[in-house]
Parts: sequence; structure tokens; C-alpha cells
Amino acid sequence: MDDEIRTFADGAPDVPPYWPEARAKARERLLREAREGRGFRFPRLGWQAVAAFGVTVALVGGVAVVLSGQPGGPGPGVGTSVALTTGELDPRPGQFIVVESDTMYTSESVDGSGHSRWLYRTHRKIWRSADASANGLLLIEGREPKPYPGEALPEQARDWRGSDWMQLASCPGRLAAWRTDYAYLSVLPTDPVILRKRLYERASGGKPGADADKQAFVAAGDLLRETYMPKEQRDALFMAIGGIPGVKAAQNVEDSAGRKGVALGRDSDNGTLEQLIFDPESHLLLGERVTVIAQKDGRPPVGSVLALTAQLNVSVVDKLPDAPNVAADGSCSVEQASASPQPTTVPTPGPTDPQPAPTEAVLTEEPATDEPAAEPAPTEPNITEAPAPVDDAPEPAPMEDSPAGS
Amino acid sequence: MVGVQDIPETLDDSALIAQSMADPECFAALFDRHADEIHRYAARRLGQEPAEDVTGEVFLVAFRSRARYDRSWPDARPWLYGIATKLVAQHRRAERRRINAMAKVSVERPGTFDERSADRVTAEQLQPRLARALTRLSAAERDLLLLVAWADLTYEDAAVALGVPVGTVRSRLHRLRVKLRRALGGIDPFAEEPQHG
Repeated sequence: MDDEIRTFADGAPDVPPYWPEARAKARERLLREAREGRGFRFPRLGWQAVAAFGVTVALVGGVAVVLSGQPGGPGPGVGTSVALTTGELDPRPGQFIVVESDTMYTSESVDGSGHSRWLYRTHRKIWRSADASANGLLLIEGREPKPYPGEALPEQARDWRGSDWMQLASCPGRLAAWRTDYAYLSVLPTDPVILRKRLYERASGGKPGADADKQAFVAAGDLLRETYMPKEQRDALFMAIGGIPGVKAAQNVEDSAGRKGVALGRDSDNGTLEQLIFDPESHLLLGERVTVIAQKDGRPPVGSVLALTAQLNVSVVDKLPDAPNVAADGSCSVEQASASPQPTTVPTPGPTDPQPAPTEAVLTEEPATDEPAAEPAPTEPNITEAPAPVDDAPEPAPMEDSPAGS
Repeated sequence: MVGVQDIPETLDDSALIAQSMADPECFAALFDRHADEIHRYAARRLGQEPAEDVTGEVFLVAFRSRARYDRSWPDARPWLYGIATKLVAQHRRAERRRINAMAKVSVERPGTFDERSADRVTAEQLQPRLARALTRLSAAERDLLLLVAWADLTYEDAAVALGVPVGTVRSRLHRLRVKLRRALGGIDPFAEEPQHG
């Protein structure tokens, strides 16, 4: 360090230590976000107020209901149940996909008074722009928690009542290959082998290894959780997950709504089996399940269920509902701050190459079934030999202009 | 669903962040490792209260963008400092007020401090002559200087934090030193020489 800079280093003001109460609060806030945001969440930004929502079509994972007709949609009457195989959603640009789910995950916390854990439960309803052009919305309602297997319910778990509205800011440009909006998902490769490579790329920059298999499985879950994609992509993804080393299939696995499906699961490092449960025909995600499979110190007995969810229905609406006290989501406004470090000057070809806008290419009445042209996919060469750095991950659909979102 | 307490210290930040993709709650371990340091940096720049907000926000922003963390960097500190610096920038006005206040201390109340409070002032606040020098720097220059001087980042780390090539950091620091030499040179710390700027 040179003299002048040394002078500043020596003269740095002494500051009081991080006030423990503030520190604990910040940590708790982070943990809360981590628990609520399982799976990848949209970063956040300002919320656009909108009028009451109009439901157009609802598709159900075995329980779906169509609430009203949509031009060109599969329009059974109000309140009619739709068999999984007959109804496919046809979200248009500007519309929102709504997913409702029940969740139960493990909550663990460590604080001054020690270590406590329980199974916390919520009902979630999430609205996300089909083409990432607008901010989304998330409603989380508390449900009565369950004790961690073999333990008593801790005091702090008893405060579960209430609900929260949260804004979900949309910054598709920043999310790049980590997007999960319909426009992005609907142009994923329909070849399972290529799609499987994409999972590895998304998870670990394409680097091989045991951890990469685990991460690829996690990446698949992130694409499926609280999302909707066309049948072709669902089928391909189901096959792609089956091709990840270590993944095993199981029949008749129940989600938290009691629906049975085919599960694709993988052993975790800590003695549990993590399963994604699918409808055997539609390949819609029914739910997730985490089960203890190996006895370990401090772990509950084999067979204990530590997480169980159900995606109850998926629908498309034109507008977001009016929501009270929405927690603003400012993370898109620090877009620069959250970009990952660029240690060296990596010459990136730049995502400026003209690519077909997926919203026009895909959201048609009758998605062309055999046309690979629907996939922009200029990205595959990246992933085979030279693992691309994370930031070079392909960006199939840079949707820079988000009219409603900014 | 690994408890935070299960995370071995030998696991580097990069691996920890990777693990937090599968198990988000692990990310709290990154907070445990670096929160104090990030807080100290923010507090030096903004004072205690805004520093608490900024520190909490740094880790939330980091958590939400963890998927894009460049995993070839085992140490997450430069990344976190980069986020912190961007967030401090949102408090530019508060920072300017703070620096101006510190720059004026001796000017406004020359000789009225007793030994103890004078000690306190120089310990908890920036020496007025340094504060005055800071007021002469652009925001970008101040960010760079304080990342190196107060966060103790290497040039390479500062380059990562600011998202610029390391060559740029070197040349900016060169210009910065010249500017500082002029601002600091020959000025008595407690002189009442009026400073414009």
C-alpha cells in the first residue's frame, strides 16, 4: 500500500461492533427468505398496481378446474373438471401463470437459546408473468406446523398464523439462463439428451463430477417448482431427469394432497431421498418429498418425512389481484450490485445476437410439434468440451424490454 | 436440509454458495462468516445505523443472486464488498453529510474539545484532513480508495468488487494517489484553512 492510501488505512474510523440484536435480526431475515424462497426466486422490483384479476383457464394436476372460457382455449364450462390429458394451458404474452401449492419443509434455526427445528407448513399462491414482462406476486399463508419427527414442537413454531403478500420483481435480463418464466421454459430443448446437458450447464457451468449430478437434479426441480411449461418440454425434462446418474424412479409415491405419481429421486448427502413426484401421463409436477433413508446421529428414524408438498393447480389469468400491504421487492434496482464478479476481462460474445423472440414463436394456438425451429438454441456447443463460466450461460431469450416492469 | 451448524469451516465460500442452491438455509453460514466485516466497512462509510440496514441488505441481495456467483472464486468477500459498495452508493447523500460533518469538526470547534472527546473524535471519526480529502474525490474514486484502504482488499479483489479489470484499478489508483498527495500535502490536520469542495 502506498503512503497516501496507507494514511487512509491508518486513519480509518473505529466503529462499534455490529450490534448483536441487529445482527441477529438480519440473520433471521435472511433465513426467512431462504425458507420461503426454496427453489429459485425472482429477484425483486417495484410493484405495478393492477385491478382485480380475471381468471381465464385453470388446469389441474388431477384437481384442475376451468373457471371461464378463453378464446381459443380448451373451453369447458365454468367449474368443470378437466382431465389432465385434455387441457393444456395456452398462456399469452402479458398474462400471468398462477400456481397454488401446499408445502411442508424443515425449518432449522440456531440462535442464542440453542438449536430448534420443526416442519413448517404454508399454502402458497404465486403469480408470474408468462413472458417475464411484468412483476409477479406471491401470497404465503401460514398453516399449522408439525413437530420434527421424534421431537416436540418448539415454542417459536407456534407463531404461524397470518399471511404475507410479496412482490416478485422480474429482471429477465439479469436472470439469463436461470429464468423460469413460461416464455423461457417453452423454448427449452425437447430432446432429453440436450436438455439434460442444459441442466448441467445451468447447475454447474457444465463441469462434470458427482456434485454436478446433484446440482443438475436440483436445477431440474427449480425449473418445475411453481412453474408451467408445454407438454413437450415436460416430457423431455422428465426423461432428462431420469438420465441423471443416481436418479431412481419409484411408482405410487404420494404427494401431500394424497395423489399418487411416479417419483424421480436422488439420495442426498445427508441421508435423505429427495423426490420429485410427477403425474405419470401429463408429467406435471405433483409435488416433492424428502424422506430419511439412512440412520444418522441427530437424524430422525428411517422413513420419516422431512418435506412434502403438492402443486394443487395451475391457471392463467390476465391480471394480478389487488393485494394489501405488498412487501416491495427492490432487488432489480441494484442490478449492478448483484452481478457476479468478473475477475478478468472475459470476452463474451455478447447476448446481442438476434434471436427469435420466444413469445411470438411459441405462444401460438397450436404449438408446432415437430419443428425444432421453435428453439432458438444456438447455445449447445458451449457446454460440451470447455465448461463455460457461469456468466456465459446461454441466454436464449433476452427480453430486454419489460414495459410493465420498469 | 443441512443445518447451518453442520457446515464445516473448511468448506470454502464458493462451495458453500453452491450448496446453498440445494439447501438455501446454508447461506446463513456465509452471513456468519462475513457479516461483521461487511458491517465494519459499511459503518466506516455511513455510520452505525445505516450500516445495519446495508449489511442486512447485502446478504439478501447476495442470497437472491447466488445462482450467478462465479464459483471459480473461493473467497466471497470481494463479491460481498462489491454489493456493499453499490448499496452504500444508494446512501450517497448520507455519506456526503457524514464526511462533511467530520471535515468540519475542528473548524467549527477549535480548541474546545478536552483531551478525551478529542480522542474520541479522532478514533470514531475520520480525521478532518482525511475527511476533507475525501470530499475532493469523485464517488468512484472514493469507492476504490476505501475498498483498498478500509476493506483491505487487494487490487485484484477490488477489481472483482467493482467489476472492472485489474489494470483499470491500477491506473485509477495511480491518478488517485496524485490527487490525494495534493489534497493532503502540507495540510496540518487541525489547520483552519478553508476548504472549498
